[in-house]
Amino acid sequence: MLGPTLQTILINLLYTAVRSGTIILFPTIGEIFAERSGVMNLGIEGMMIIGAFFGFVVTYTTKNPYLGFVAGMLAGGVASLIHAFIVITLQGRQVVSGLALTIFGLGITNFYGQRFINAQLNVSLSRFAIPLLSKIPIIGIIFFKQDIFVYFSYIVAIFMWYVLYKTKVGIQLRATGENAAAADAMGVNVYATRYFWTFFGGLLAGAGGAYLTIVYAPFWLDGITAGRGWIAVALVIFAMWDPINAIFGAYLFGSIDALQFLLQARGTTIPSSLLSMQPYLLTFIVIVIASLIVRLKHIGVPRELGLPFSREEK
Amino acid sequence: MENIVLEARNITKYFPGILANDHINFDLYSKEVHTLLGENGAGKTTLVNIFDGLYYPNEGEVYVNGKIANINSPLDAMKFGIGMIHQHFMLVDTLTVVENVVLGFQKQGFRLDNNSIVKKIQEISEQYNLKVNPYAKIWQLSVGEQQRVEIIKMLYRGANILILDEPTAVLTPQEIDSLFLIINKIKSDGKSVIFISHKLEEVLKVSDRITVLKKGKVVGTVNKEHATEKELALMMVGREVLFRFDRKPTADGKDILKIENLEGYNDRGVKRLKGVNLTVKSGEIFGIAGVAGNGQEELAESITGLRKSSKGKIFIGSCESTNLLPSRILKKGVNYIPADRIRTGLIPNLSSVDNAILRCYMRKPISNTFTVNFTKAKDYANKIITEFNIMVPRLDAPVKLLSGGNMQKLLLAREILEEPILLIAVHPTRGLDIGATELVRKKLIEARDKGAAVLLISEDLDEIIMLSDRIGVIYDGKIVGLVDSKNAQINNIGLMMGGSKNLNVQKG
Amino acid sequence: MLRFEKRENVSTKLKMFIPLLSIMIGLLIGAIAILFAKINPLMAYKAILVGAFGSKYTFTETLVFATPLILISVGLILVFKMNFWNIGAYGQYILGAILSSYFALFLPTNIPKLLLLTIMTLAGLLGGALWALIPAVLKAYWDVNEVISTLLLNYVALYILQYFMYGPWRDPRSHGFPLSKMFADNAQLPKIIANSRVHLGLIFGIVAAFIVWFLIKKTKLGYETRIIGGSKEAAHYAGINVPKDIIIAMMISGALAGLAGMAQISGVIHLLQIQINPDYGYTAIIAAWLSYLEPFTAIIVSILLGALAAGGYQIQITMQVPFGIISVIESVILFTLIGSEILLRYTIHLEKRRKT
Repeated sequence: MLGPTLQTILINLLYTAVRSGTIILFPTIGEIFAERSGVMNLGIEGMMIIGAFFGFVVTYTTKNPYLGFVAGMLAGGVASLIHAFIVITLQGRQVVSGLALTIFGLGITNFYGQRFINAQLNVSLSRFAIPLLSKIPIIGIIFFKQDIFVYFSYIVAIFMWYVLYKTKVGIQLRATGENAAAADAMGVNVYATRYFWTFFGGLLAGAGGAYLTIVYAPFWLDGITAGRGWIAVALVIFAMWDPINAIFGAYLFGSIDALQFLLQARGTTIPSSLLSMQPYLLTFIVIVIASLIVRLKHIGVPRELGLPFSREEK
Repeated sequence: MENIVLEARNITKYFPGILANDHINFDLYSKEVHTLLGENGAGKTTLVNIFDGLYYPNEGEVYVNGKIANINSPLDAMKFGIGMIHQHFMLVDTLTVVENVVLGFQKQGFRLDNNSIVKKIQEISEQYNLKVNPYAKIWQLSVGEQQRVEIIKMLYRGANILILDEPTAVLTPQEIDSLFLIINKIKSDGKSVIFISHKLEEVLKVSDRITVLKKGKVVGTVNKEHATEKELALMMVGREVLFRFDRKPTADGKDILKIENLEGYNDRGVKRLKGVNLTVKSGEIFGIAGVAGNGQEELAESITGLRKSSKGKIFIGSCESTNLLPSRILKKGVNYIPADRIRTGLIPNLSSVDNAILRCYMRKPISNTFTVNFTKAKDYANKIITEFNIMVPRLDAPVKLLSGGNMQKLLLAREILEEPILLIAVHPTRGLDIGATELVRKKLIEARDKGAAVLLISEDLDEIIMLSDRIGVIYDGKIVGLVDSKNAQINNIGLMMGGSKNLNVQKG
Repeated sequence: MLRFEKRENVSTKLKMFIPLLSIMIGLLIGAIAILFAKINPLMAYKAILVGAFGSKYTFTETLVFATPLILISVGLILVFKMNFWNIGAYGQYILGAILSSYFALFLPTNIPKLLLLTIMTLAGLLGGALWALIPAVLKAYWDVNEVISTLLLNYVALYILQYFMYGPWRDPRSHGFPLSKMFADNAQLPKIIANSRVHLGLIFGIVAAFIVWFLIKKTKLGYETRIIGGSKEAAHYAGINVPKDIIIAMMISGALAGLAGMAQISGVIHLLQIQINPDYGYTAIIAAWLSYLEPFTAIIVSILLGALAAGGYQIQITMQVPFGIISVIESVILFTLIGSEILLRYTIHLEKRRKT
């Protein structure tokens, strides 16, 4: 049996892990859907920080975190449309455009964010317990005494799983990423589908960023997303393009993040830089393993990921 | 006469440098099978793509049921009751039959009600005799089954006008017969069919009327009753189709390629080669007949080292070469004309020079230990281009600007000029016009006469019979029969292609 | 309705026009962004121009900024030609800097300058090459997505640098700042222009551009990278050892990024610290694209982007315009550039479609 203190520490750790994982969960799901439609958006980091910035500024000025969250989402969505226009309409290279979007997001938030640096939010978001579920020992505290945005992420993950596999929209989405010409011939609007899911990816990237600055770390710093967008891109492979798997990936990352944070806070002899490195290093290792599995099992990757579509190519 | 359901008036469509359709007039009656007949590049596919809304004509109009129809997309086409089955199936491999059938179907609600969809699919299956498992994923189905899914998909949407673009190219003779039964059933149900083919025999079997296209123009429309094969052939190519090649008598050469119990998997991890045995001798063309997807491409790739085989042995000359690196096999004098010439055989964005030296850049005189001599490379490319009469805008222009025929000539020239001891040619004439086809075939025979062992893999049974000295039939990853081409019977080969056993054939 | 038609010929004029257009649009959007911050964009651009080309000294500063960009971008060109997306120049730069610093900090100070600088140069090359080797091997043999692996390794590299700076390599006399001790004179790259900070690294860059040009145009490796970039299937078919080429090209690319890191600390900063400008690794990607992957053009483009950076630092100090604006301009240039590449492939027609 674990001693009561250790148990409390562990529960607290996992509680924080869920919160930290939520920052990544939103963008990972978003990217899964964008990639399923055939659009790889490496601009997650940029969209996240734009979402983080707008989420923060709107919450800071209106004192309304919900409004801030929506603003962050929309900002991420709008940013994704730049990428959509470049790669869908103009058939530009997806890798480069995504990178440009990241550089853009980091640049623009640095440019406008100077006067908010170190500003704090004074809004506290109430946690509320879900009846019954929160009564489950341990699990209840970790998962069901969270804030509304965390619950929102559960709903998004489960609902999007349903959309992906059980609806007409899901079939159109999967067909577009696997074989755009076939989808087109069957009357699916390939361009609209790709635009929509790229935008959706942007919304969720914005949501992840907004959750970061409104709830998880309620202040503004230059480059506050610190590579979490890239981790989200990596977790898409780990999740094998499935939104439910994304939950595990995000919370795995969240646990490592929470653990290194806890160790740093409690003061260990391990240098903090080596602790801070862990989430990136472990994500790296996980991705290598996941790539091997994807390769061996011949599954997962949307076949036309990254390829532009144009009908009258001849 | 019956009423006209679809009419094209003065359709003109051009692509850069090509006039694909030149003022085409065409009409289709209800309860009719109307064939578009013509060589590759005659403009058949372009015309039906316009009916299907994939292309938009530069001039002319399409009328459906007497009213002008503005078809901007396949979705529009569907609204007019037009359903097209493309030569390359428009199916999503990783989705199930059910999912493919409802893909893009407008009347489908947000949620999928699998039971009711499956019920409707089964109704259609029974009515038209289109058997298929609705829960299977497409990649698990044979080509024939996939074609049935395509037809079901269109009937599910209530298509009245069915367009079939070269549907028989991928089928065994027996599967073709059952397809024709389905077509007749569809016709007797009050629907109309546009059928595309360049095979005269089957055209006469299935059509009511035949419109012949040549170089984007209509040559004429004839009723089946008044048509003969000879006449149609003349209309189609402007001269009599006569392929006769002079060749040396079959030499009894020594074994160049010997394959024993070869097994291997495709990219998805499905076993595609299940124990292939064959021998190819120098100075002969060994043809492999078979329906697409029975392991032909995996076989070619295993021999050339591009795919690892899991079991069995390959000998080239007298040395074993199983699972050697492609470069080692190339060095042994094995050259290869792959099926996928645009991605594997050539690099579309690179110049003719870069493409011409692809197989010899690593050797003298083109290169030294470290550097490539591009002056010599240019000379070499020039030599290839003149010798094979390849039309190239400029030597440094990307090869994607060449026509399909010229691309294939470049590829063939590069491989044949290496003077291989073993030449593997996969679908060497697919998609080529008559002139290019004739040249490619002539060159293959020449290589044989010079003593090369040639392994010819083709889906065109006529081509196999015309060129080969011996024929092996591949089915489900095995050579199921060996036939001497002199006494080859197309029916028997057809049955073996479909997997029938217990035929009276020689064993290899 | 826009309709695209394939183009047969691309004029040089058009190829010149697209980068210029991109820079114009980049500056235009940048101006709008500056306007929103209630700063006069014309003043800001004037200050950038003066800050980059205003005097002989400012021009030499532009060259200082351009030096690492040249080194990194010509290396990236080699791997971009084979469609290998090395986004990890950032980390390779850091590792080159760390490894060469080791020799600057811990070898005896009486070593001849030429010898020490040679060792440091080799260490810089090696540090970058080894860091690049990891994603290259993973890509070559296990097909691990190189964009993701190189990026994650950038963060790992950054924390390795932090580890040394907050830990073993921190100068005890730095008052707690994460700085190493100052390099001795024999560990500093010589200046090549008097009264400026322009150092030998610029020559390294020009030599590197020449080497990469030679590799691409004249060698088997260069030919093979073209084939691999054109089609992986064709490369296998041609018998090219694709994994070997990926590894060699990637190590060259990483080595040059590592050399850029070495040149920066040895030629400009003269010590190792947390802020050693690895962001050049990202800017160099823009330089590589803007030059159509031509090494000599990359020199010119790097100088232009160096000017933008030099001017950017000027306006940050004199006008309090945050440096992020430079990233905004650069990213818009990149967007426009890849967006307008479609003009190279197609002619675009505006076509009205009739309604039923």
